[in-house]
Amino acid sequence: MKIQAPNPPDTLTEAMRLALLRADPALSRFDPLPRILSFDDFSRGHCGWSQLVGNYEDDLDTMLPGYAQHTSAMLSTLGHWDAGSHGGMGSSYALKVATRPVPGARNVAIKRHTFRKRGPIRFEMYFTFKPEASELKLSETDVRSVGFLFDLQGGDKDSHDDRVMPHLRFLNALDGQHLQKWQYKRETERIIPIGTDNKTISHYHLASENWLDLPGGSQRLCYNEVPTKVNWTYLCFDFDLESMTALGLRCNDRSFDLSGFDSIRIPAMKNLWCMLNFALFAETDVAKRAFLYVDSICISGDF
Amino acid sequence: MLPENFTAVVSRNECWRGEAASEPYEAGWAREAIFFVRALKEPVGPTTTAWIEVSPDGMRWLREGTEFPMPDKRDGVAMARLAHFGNWLRVAAHFDDGAECTVLVTLHLKA
Repeated sequence: MKIQAPNPPDTLTEAMRLALLRADPALSRFDPLPRILSFDDFSRGHCGWSQLVGNYEDDLDTMLPGYAQHTSAMLSTLGHWDAGSHGGMGSSYALKVATRPVPGARNVAIKRHTFRKRGPIRFEMYFTFKPEASELKLSETDVRSVGFLFDLQGGDKDSHDDRVMPHLRFLNALDGQHLQKWQYKRETERIIPIGTDNKTISHYHLASENWLDLPGGSQRLCYNEVPTKVNWTYLCFDFDLESMTALGLRCNDRSFDLSGFDSIRIPAMKNLWCMLNFALFAETDVAKRAFLYVDSICISGDF
Repeated sequence: MLPENFTAVVSRNECWRGEAASEPYEAGWAREAIFFVRALKEPVGPTTTAWIEVSPDGMRWLREGTEFPMPDKRDGVAMARLAHFGNWLRVAAHFDDGAECTVLVTLHLKA
């Protein structure tokens, strides 16, 4: 898919931009929109990918259980017991999001920004996933899913003031069935008041229920042949902050029709204006840790 | 460029009892580390000793040698300094029957 800029640059400017991008070994493998918001290759630290902590008031016991399980993402060389460090695409390091070893466990890393202009944004990353290599078996159905979401809300003077949360996951397996398909989500769980001051609420938007199959969303990714061999996979998701609609999803050689896609939409919250959050998550299907590894991420916009 | 440093929360509001350990954390990029263990609630039962473990693969764990007493009161904080640990790190502890401690375990890493 190609996104038209509101004021398309002249041909020479665009040709120069593309030439510079393609000559840059770090950025050449991405197709960013004209303005790069962030480029994370994880050889320079966590680059702002922090733990998604649940809301609470007075006592951490008020945090919803779905959030309480989360831990901090880490920097990994993908070190394996049988083959040593696998490394990333351009450095030794990748971001690693690891679940606990409990069936259905989930972990989430988040990057929190705000936006300057409502327009197209593009999220690109190279990722892979594997279960903990605790068995000498292929273990291809041990990771339930890996995915990502945006958490968005318009400006305080905008007419579109819903909080909008596009979610997509690659459902690798469920209850041992190797399903390999993209899913999206339109519903979150009930919004629950937190504490007694009437200032904080919480809702768990990543629950296992209410995931919907993306039409035409089946895809077989490269998993390789033992749990310690990984291959990096490209993903690109386009979203328009003006209309708050998804524009496109690409994963490696496949481009998916998002005409049937929609986001979770809930009423705007009073402290989240211009929010532009990005989150990554992993889920395990078995009593074994699931690992989402991300080599690099480029987030860009047209503004 | 400034040297990298990072604070990881590896256990938050977890009630530790019996054989307990933090989730494995990869810290191979860091030259030094400090674990802080804070009791978020009043510990129950006799105070126990925690210890640091290292691992070749994140699955098989050995005692690194550092031990420290767990906090003995609510908001008490214990810590362990580490300077040679390879990649994988975790904190482990054993609690006698009936003993428990609700912990916040944070890991502070510096390149």
